[in-house]
Amino acid sequence: MDGLCCGPGYASPSEAVRAPREKLLYTIAIYTGTGIQKPDYLATIDVDPESQNYSQVIHRLEMPGIGDELHHMGWNACSSCHGDEKMTRKYLLVPGVRSNNIYVIDTATNPHAPSLHKVVDGAKIKSKTNLSGPHTVHCLGSEIIISFLGDAKGEAPGGYLHLNKEFEIVGRWENSMGDIPFSYDFWYQPRHNVMVSSEWAAPNTFMPGFDLEEVGHLKYGRRLHIWDFEKKKPIETMYLGEDGLIPLEVKFMHDPNSSHGFCGAALSANVIHFWKSKDGKWEWEKIIDVDNEPHPDWPIPIPGVMSALLVSMDDKYLYINNWLHGDMRQYNISDPHNPVLTGQIWMGGLLGKAPIVNGVKVAGGPQMYQLSLDGKRMYVTTSLFSTWDNQFYPEIRTEGGVMVMIDCDVENGGMKINKDFILDFGKEPNGPSRCHESRYPGGDCTSDIWL
Amino acid sequence: MNKITIANRNNTIFEVKGTKPLLSELRSQGLDLPYGCQYGGCITCAAKLINGEVDQRSQVALNNRQINNGYVILCVARAKTDCTFDIGVESHDKLYRNPFIDPLHPHELKSNIAIVKDNN
Repeated sequence: MDGLCCGPGYASPSEAVRAPREKLLYTIAIYTGTGIQKPDYLATIDVDPESQNYSQVIHRLEMPGIGDELHHMGWNACSSCHGDEKMTRKYLLVPGVRSNNIYVIDTATNPHAPSLHKVVDGAKIKSKTNLSGPHTVHCLGSEIIISFLGDAKGEAPGGYLHLNKEFEIVGRWENSMGDIPFSYDFWYQPRHNVMVSSEWAAPNTFMPGFDLEEVGHLKYGRRLHIWDFEKKKPIETMYLGEDGLIPLEVKFMHDPNSSHGFCGAALSANVIHFWKSKDGKWEWEKIIDVDNEPHPDWPIPIPGVMSALLVSMDDKYLYINNWLHGDMRQYNISDPHNPVLTGQIWMGGLLGKAPIVNGVKVAGGPQMYQLSLDGKRMYVTTSLFSTWDNQFYPEIRTEGGVMVMIDCDVENGGMKINKDFILDFGKEPNGPSRCHESRYPGGDCTSDIWL
Repeated sequence: MNKITIANRNNTIFEVKGTKPLLSELRSQGLDLPYGCQYGGCITCAAKLINGEVDQRSQVALNNRQINNGYVILCVARAKTDCTFDIGVESHDKLYRNPFIDPLHPHELKSNIAIVKDNN
């Protein structure tokens, strides 16, 4: 599926947009925290409309034990080593947030039935690097770094694990964490020698669930950090304050020459836009502010909880979710300073606007999503994190997660729920599981970075 | 040796030495229990103590309200006396709470940031 000429991925974002349509999707599904004593697993989903198994889970790869809480994942290689013919996009690295294990899954030998290739042992990661609570996986050319939110005892700020291409622990990637208080997501843009990282909280703070009072006690983040990517150290902090409470996902534009990027501040439900000005200074501004919404049972209006964000491969559209409200939005970001709302759909959420989608009751709200390379199909799941799900959507325990597909109009803007696709993880063979992040074998809009 | 009674598993009784945390002692005797981080940081293994006393000083996951409601982090807790527990998610009725609808009082936060309640 990768480009024909050289290594993995594509020569450019515009070539990636023209790649063949995805036929398989790999999605994490969890039992951790659900009461079902089964391992979390990687579900392989048939997304080929010509197939008789379309819109079904066709394979489940169980992890070796229970209690991992699989969450995010990443490829061993992406377009960042497109010119390296020795590399292939073959392995998915799937960390367990709670267990600290990193599972290396071979998706190439049989793409329809991935298999476990190697486990990077969580206890070994702790003893060698003093890190726990793995989150974002990015390859840097042929090697891999993974952000961790805590030290071995679950205290912030954590740091970055460096693995070589054989998935052996090299050590810590960063030379310094500077005065960064918390870690979470990161994205790098090598032509600007920059990495930007965001802040969730210490594992010991967020893993047990969300205590709102801990935001006031400064146990949750509110900053973005600019790194000197080559020197592997932070050089500048953007203090976002009340506009940027719990800044989670960070994405740069896919155009490697662009310095524009975005972060979704989950609790403030704002999009923060950052960029390098003409005189070389990093700037930020709030470009989207989702109002809190009143609810008859809540003493205060409900915040959106913008837990994720995605930029289309052609850099034309920004997608955001409001997990507690229940909507997904599409903004045209041709002018990144002035986004224009071009599409919106509702699925689940606490506002009661779309409790049932395609005949399936939606527990939870739109939470994680992956967009096809051509920008036309978005696959959306509903679970955030087991303990947080249990607090806000307790019914997800018995109803499980849901995957919905949204048709996105890339010409004129617009979003529409596809009527032919729905995946009810409430009906999984071992009982209701919760689906989370997804990846396509041929690369996707949250993996590929160009050097 | 202390007797551990699991009330919501037909009052099954296990004997534990107290040399290891309850999670590993009970699992080694065949009790199927949920767990996650195994260092006291994540509440996946929380059980509700109905009777008895435990030492769970090394847990860092529970806030004081959860502790007052009887929750115990089995992966680090050791029994100090005979104990009776409810286990699994069936025991989690008071473990999870919507933080906006039902906020914590200052004395109910995690112990490192809680403000001691003045009863006078």
